[in-house]
Amino acid sequence: MITLVGMNHRSAPLELRERACFPEDGLPETLARFKESIGAPEALIIATCNRVELVARSADPGGTGAKIRAFLASERGFDAETLERHVYVYEGLEAARHVFAVACGLDSMVLGEPQILGQVKKAYAIARESGATGPVLDRLLQHVLAAAKRVRTTTGISRHAVSVAYAAANLARGIFDDLHGRSALVLGAGKMTELAARHLVAQGVTDLAITNRTYARAAQLAASLGGTAIPWDEFPRALGRVDIVLTGTAAPQPVLSREQVKAALRARRGRPLFIVDIAVPRDVEPEVHDLDGVYLYDVDDLQGIVDAGLDERRRAAEEAIGMLDAEVVAFDRWRQSVDLGPTIAAMRDRLHGLGRDEIARFGRRLSTLSAEQHAAVEELTRSVIQKVLHAPIVALKSSADRGEAAARARLYREIFGLTGHEAHGAPPEADAQADTQAEAKLGPHRVIQGGKDA
Amino acid sequence: MAHALFLAALALLVIGATLAVIAELRRLEPLARSGAGALSAAWALQLAGLVTVAVTDGTLPMRTGPEYLLVLGWFVLSLHLLLWFRSGIRALALVLPPIAAVMVAAAHLIPTSGMQVGNGPQRGWFLFHTSVATAGMGALAVSFAMSVLFLVKEKGLKGKKPLRVLDRLPSLQTVDRIGFTALMWGFPLLTVGIVTGMVYNAELHDRIWTPGMKQTFPLLAWGMFAILLWARFSRGIRGRRSAFLSIAGFALGLLTLLGMVH
Repeated sequence: MITLVGMNHRSAPLELRERACFPEDGLPETLARFKESIGAPEALIIATCNRVELVARSADPGGTGAKIRAFLASERGFDAETLERHVYVYEGLEAARHVFAVACGLDSMVLGEPQILGQVKKAYAIARESGATGPVLDRLLQHVLAAAKRVRTTTGISRHAVSVAYAAANLARGIFDDLHGRSALVLGAGKMTELAARHLVAQGVTDLAITNRTYARAAQLAASLGGTAIPWDEFPRALGRVDIVLTGTAAPQPVLSREQVKAALRARRGRPLFIVDIAVPRDVEPEVHDLDGVYLYDVDDLQGIVDAGLDERRRAAEEAIGMLDAEVVAFDRWRQSVDLGPTIAAMRDRLHGLGRDEIARFGRRLSTLSAEQHAAVEELTRSVIQKVLHAPIVALKSSADRGEAAARARLYREIFGLTGHEAHGAPPEADAQADTQAEAKLGPHRVIQGGKDA
Repeated sequence: MAHALFLAALALLVIGATLAVIAELRRLEPLARSGAGALSAAWALQLAGLVTVAVTDGTLPMRTGPEYLLVLGWFVLSLHLLLWFRSGIRALALVLPPIAAVMVAAAHLIPTSGMQVGNGPQRGWFLFHTSVATAGMGALAVSFAMSVLFLVKEKGLKGKKPLRVLDRLPSLQTVDRIGFTALMWGFPLLTVGIVTGMVYNAELHDRIWTPGMKQTFPLLAWGMFAILLWARFSRGIRGRRSAFLSIAGFALGLLTLLGMVH
């Protein structure tokens, strides 16, 4: 059974999440301690700046959650009461579903954010390389990573802008082929303007001209961004050559008029001009947007795009949840089919054992047979048993495709009189897992101990 | 035989264009691949039909308005498939396949009226004239499609309404660049087509100009494209105005068909 104990932005405040975070450097050693501490054959830790998820597959479903919490408490210095309030525990299918949701960004602070997929991928790579994962978690994570990629491509959940700077960059990409090598003029040197200008540079804008009424501040910002400072009076001339204008001065009146932009258009010879006005009150006369080839967006326009982007992400998240349900069912079927192995082996052992016992019981009456005839009787018995077993085994395997494997396996164990120990070394978890699966069909099997659903 | 091939091609073209448009609007990649498959099959069947006509009649199938439309529709489809597979601009599926489908469908609907085709040198001029003019109109159809995409994208950016379909459209500069490249191919071909048409007319009627829609609309289209190129090179006119001129020029070019029907 898979058990997951986690802490995220909904269940715990930042200071607790910071404390719970496991540094990537020592993760292999932490994983080794984690496995040893809870006695689990498979383990995984996903630790980012905003969450920590400790996942384990163990044979002791009842106590695993408590053991993981004890491990978290001892490793990161939490008291029991804090963990009681701020962590969540998922078991069985719900644990698998949560890992799927995390990888798709459905459980992220910024819905659909793309970085989490890389972080899950990295966490899995570390766990696999350090030998912490095994067949079940390997299968789960391979399934999760493929599904997360598919969900992102199909639903487009990460495509829509959720910040003003991102929205502006997206708009710029809708106008220009590429932002790499583009030029921009920055009016103003305040904090917000600096942040937005840094985002433009990060997106590939290389030729940056910065101007401010106080030249020294423009020079200072230009030095930190790798741009060029120009005197305030010269910016109208720069309008003729740049692709993007970013403006965020504290001026009470517009600093860029329609006439100034119109005059610059002659020098531009039809090249489009994208103006981002993040100032309040606005720096650019709204009529500028009416000019052919000029696209002016102010903070309200950008916020409108952000709001629409969030709506789109929510809509995509609903679609993604539908897709995840199918993925979780597919994983569960695989797991059920794997779980059938011990039952099938036990059935074979049981019937072949009966065959051997019966041949032994008839030993005196068969003693007159030659060695060759004796071997033929044994072969005949084996063959009859194989044929008798064939149809039930096929039916049992096909029940996994319908999600009925656990119930069928229990029925078969009852019919064939297979006890837990007789089930060919079947781990006790097989029975417990069967119970969990049966419960899962009745409704969500989720243990919440923390702020998430409190 | 050829008729059956053309009908099958039309059916596949309509199916392919519908699938391609739906796939593009709803971001359904498997459907987009199915659409591309249907369009590719339509392209092959249409080509087979044209070859059959050419082999049977011993001449290029461009003697009538419908035949001209069949060839032009096939050529537009060829350019679409080429650009779709090579440039990766998926939004082309919104414009070019429907244009090709309308052209081929119109070929089946409009009445056939044969053109007078002479023999000897006149026949050569005629084939050269129609081939070059068709290639020119095909390239101008791409320019037209890009202009439509430009206007849709531009309207979205100007309207400041975030529409999902706008994300699928290429940037304004990409659309403008491809449209202009297509225009730079289409305009010279159209020019050569018009000149060779005049030569053919002179051979046939001893005069380079015969009044009529078939002769007038290509000249008007040529004039529109000439103004567009002049405005672009001398005044730096691009964007919306350039797109409108390109659309108007292509529409005038298509009106030539009226002259071929009547």
